[in-house]
Amino acid sequence: MRRFRAWLVRLGGLFRKERSEADLAAELESHVQMHIEDNVRAGMTPEAARRDALLRLGGVEQTKEGYRDRRGLPWLDTLLQDLRFALRMLAARPAFTAVAILTLALGIGATTAVFSVVDRILFRSLPYPHDEKLVSFGVKAPFEGIEFMLAPEYAVLRSQSTPFESMTSLTPGGADCDITEQNPVRLSCALVESTFLSTFGIRPVVGRDFVGEDDRPNAPRVVLLSYGLWKSRFAADPNVAGKTVSLDGKPVLIIGVLPAEFEMPNLGPADMLLPQALDEAALDRNNPRVVLRAFARLKPSVTIEQARAGLEPWFQDSLRFVPPQFRAEVSLRVRSLRDRQIEDSRVGAWVLLGAVIAVLLLACTNVANLLLVRAVGRQRELAVRAALGASRARLARQTLTESLLLGLLGGIAGCGLAYLLLRVFISIAPEGIVRLRQASLDLRVLGFGLAVSLVSGVLFGMAPTFSEPTPESLTGKSAGPAVRGLVRHVLVAGQIAGSVILLAGAGLLLRSLWRIQSVPLGLETQHVVTAQISLAEHRYPDTPKQLAFFREVETRLGRIPGVTQLALSDTLPPSGGMQATFFASIEVPGRARLSQGTGGMVGWRMVTPNYFPALGIQIVRGRGFMEADRAPTDNPIILSEALAEKMFPRENPIGKSLRFSAFDRQGPWRTIVGVAADVKNNGLIAPADPEFYIPWKNDPETYVRRAYVTFRTPLSPAAVVPWTRTEIAVLDPTVPVEFATMEARVGKLTQRPRFDAILLSLFAGIGVVLAALGIYGVVSFFVWQRTQEIGVRMALGATPRSILRLVLLSVARWTLGGALLGLLGAWLCARLLQSLLFEVRAHDPALLALALLILLTVAFFAAWVPARRAARVDPMVALRYE
Amino acid sequence: MGNKADVWQGTLALMVLKTLQAMGSLHGYGIARRIEQISGDLLNVNYGTLYPALLKLEQEGYIDSEWGVSDNNRKAKYYKLTSAGRKQLAKEAREWQQATDILARFLTEPEKTS
Repeated sequence: MRRFRAWLVRLGGLFRKERSEADLAAELESHVQMHIEDNVRAGMTPEAARRDALLRLGGVEQTKEGYRDRRGLPWLDTLLQDLRFALRMLAARPAFTAVAILTLALGIGATTAVFSVVDRILFRSLPYPHDEKLVSFGVKAPFEGIEFMLAPEYAVLRSQSTPFESMTSLTPGGADCDITEQNPVRLSCALVESTFLSTFGIRPVVGRDFVGEDDRPNAPRVVLLSYGLWKSRFAADPNVAGKTVSLDGKPVLIIGVLPAEFEMPNLGPADMLLPQALDEAALDRNNPRVVLRAFARLKPSVTIEQARAGLEPWFQDSLRFVPPQFRAEVSLRVRSLRDRQIEDSRVGAWVLLGAVIAVLLLACTNVANLLLVRAVGRQRELAVRAALGASRARLARQTLTESLLLGLLGGIAGCGLAYLLLRVFISIAPEGIVRLRQASLDLRVLGFGLAVSLVSGVLFGMAPTFSEPTPESLTGKSAGPAVRGLVRHVLVAGQIAGSVILLAGAGLLLRSLWRIQSVPLGLETQHVVTAQISLAEHRYPDTPKQLAFFREVETRLGRIPGVTQLALSDTLPPSGGMQATFFASIEVPGRARLSQGTGGMVGWRMVTPNYFPALGIQIVRGRGFMEADRAPTDNPIILSEALAEKMFPRENPIGKSLRFSAFDRQGPWRTIVGVAADVKNNGLIAPADPEFYIPWKNDPETYVRRAYVTFRTPLSPAAVVPWTRTEIAVLDPTVPVEFATMEARVGKLTQRPRFDAILLSLFAGIGVVLAALGIYGVVSFFVWQRTQEIGVRMALGATPRSILRLVLLSVARWTLGGALLGLLGAWLCARLLQSLLFEVRAHDPALLALALLILLTVAFFAAWVPARRAARVDPMVALRYE
Repeated sequence: MGNKADVWQGTLALMVLKTLQAMGSLHGYGIARRIEQISGDLLNVNYGTLYPALLKLEQEGYIDSEWGVSDNNRKAKYYKLTSAGRKQLAKEAREWQQATDILARFLTEPEKTS
């Protein structure tokens, strides 16, 4: 405590120097005088008395020195002095300071922002305890991207011994559900097995978890609320458990509340969790109707590979129930939960991370280069200070302070930049990048970036103090150590190589983006408006009600002026999500069916006759649908060109019949009436599947809770949409309708590649700027260092042109070397980008050449500016220089 | 002067406190002379180290200082004990007594046993 008090007083002592200095002088003066008087009284002569007094004191100045050390905090004093000096040095060269700080800020800012995003995707643990033990498992089949489980097989597996500590399942897609009491609201309900929370290691914050009883088919219905719903609808009522809520018209007992950080393992929405209440007695291995997503927690010592091996016997057994020709295309898949979640964000994330590390390296080399250049320039100053008695440690400390100060300023600017960049990323990011919205500035990363910049600053900033300043440096005429010149050039070459790689990568992504945006869709997007309508199950439980609603929509909207070609369909291109079947399930009379494999997937849609003209899809053969085709007796079908070509190569398909028969179900025979042009139907990037169309009929076999209305309008969508919305609201105000123009729907599909391309271009831009700064710095220094030589040359008759050439040549070699290295690197790195590219070869010589050209142009101009300065040197001034 | 002992590290502060307790209020020179006197001129106080020591005590709050006028009308800075200083003096004196007692026993012990 006393120590602390003393420390505080000493800290205060730093700021009241003048007064206490005068005090000290007066006190010592009176001390000496009293001593002299005593000595004189003891019989000494005044001179001897004075001498003795001073001697006994040990010298006034020395005493003051000892007193001062005690008064303030000497190290802090020196530090403040160093800081003041460093600030003055930085302010004296604003250009250097600005460039260094800018460089650091760009490096630190970009790295931190990107890492904050990527960290969430690649590294941060999922919000479940021991998340590394969680796996997603199931069967992988061609018609479904994500592994799944057939309910009967899941039940079989559950009755066996597994490599899992526990396993659980959920019903994919969940369901819309409606709270049907006062303030009705549409929510997302997730259906899960009763072991769901315990497997993921989650405990409700209020109430209880599901128990096995809840999962029985006819058990009283219970529900767990999400934290958000509990807060918003139930005012965070701690006694909410035990209350009932009316869900889809039926009372449901609330048993608990999920924690705030809860999220579904498939990242789907979930306002409520309900037991999926699978009726196991009704499950039939020969007729699997229910599909599940399965998850499990591995036993502590079991790896994913071992788990896969452990599931193999069950998988082989379950294969018996798969039709023989499909077996080859079905496989078992066990993968970590993280892998399942980030599936398509992974490559993008790693590319971003790679790019940003490149930028950080570029920034560090730049700072190193700048500091090296400056250090050489300061040799004379350091020599002078050494000659005046500064120790090497003192000089090192001074330079260190300067470097650290620079790093700190850059770091602060970097923090600001990182914050801004992150905001920009989030605002331009497309939907579907996992966890991006949760990304926040990561302090660890910020610290890391700062540390890297400080270390580079320290290493290179201290370089001049590694060697004792020689008296020769005092003359300021030393040519500068050749080795350091080499380091500088190597650094610049490395920067150029890095920039070429970044530029080439950005070029590839931009070109790919352009390709994606100009991909032929097979349909018209202009003047086309779409509306997605989804009906609540409790209000429209059966087909007649659903169809009646849509029939009403069709007639009402069709009457609105400005709405033409109104069509209904169950799904819409170009995004995926249409219904699909196997090619092998198509049966043509008089033809043997495909006996091996599935033959690939074939998509299909249910459409009204106006569908083709509304979307501008050409009918290339035969005819489109007519109103008459919607009669219950007719079964016409329209094939896409790709499907027609696949089924009837070089034949006219019109008039032929076919039917679909999968497993034990057989559809009616259908007659081909037309062939429609191909349409992109799996998003813009993936190859399109062949597809066919059947008429939207008033047929009780169909089940359409969700459908699309499509129409053309010559008016602006903003004028038509409100009217349309009102018409639907008249029918049923509770039905949610989502309007979008076709252009917007297509635009959404390009968001992701655009995001990737923008980011990489940003980094490439930063890289080029950094490289330019680096070259500029090196050439400027070269000119500064050789001003005298240039003056001599000019005095001896050199022309400005030859001087220009001399200066430019000095960097040309290294620039070219770096560029070539960069080309090689770009060639190697391009392969990593391949999976992000669309119809662009990763090794595109034209793009590489372009990247090279851009960089060399920039490099040339960066060197040109100081070189011009050199060429304008006045020989007389140059000779007098220094 | 040559055979006089220098003041041991750490004991100067204790001597200063004791001196101030005995004398009330005193200036730096007076404190130094008083310590030399009390030691029977066996101690050689380095006046140069006295002032930083005084400053340290003041920073720690054991003594206070103010400007005053000396007997022969000279302006001088006078130091005096604070109550914290009094407590500290008692504590340090006790500790010092203990230390010397222990040391004394150590130094006499071998003679008894041998």
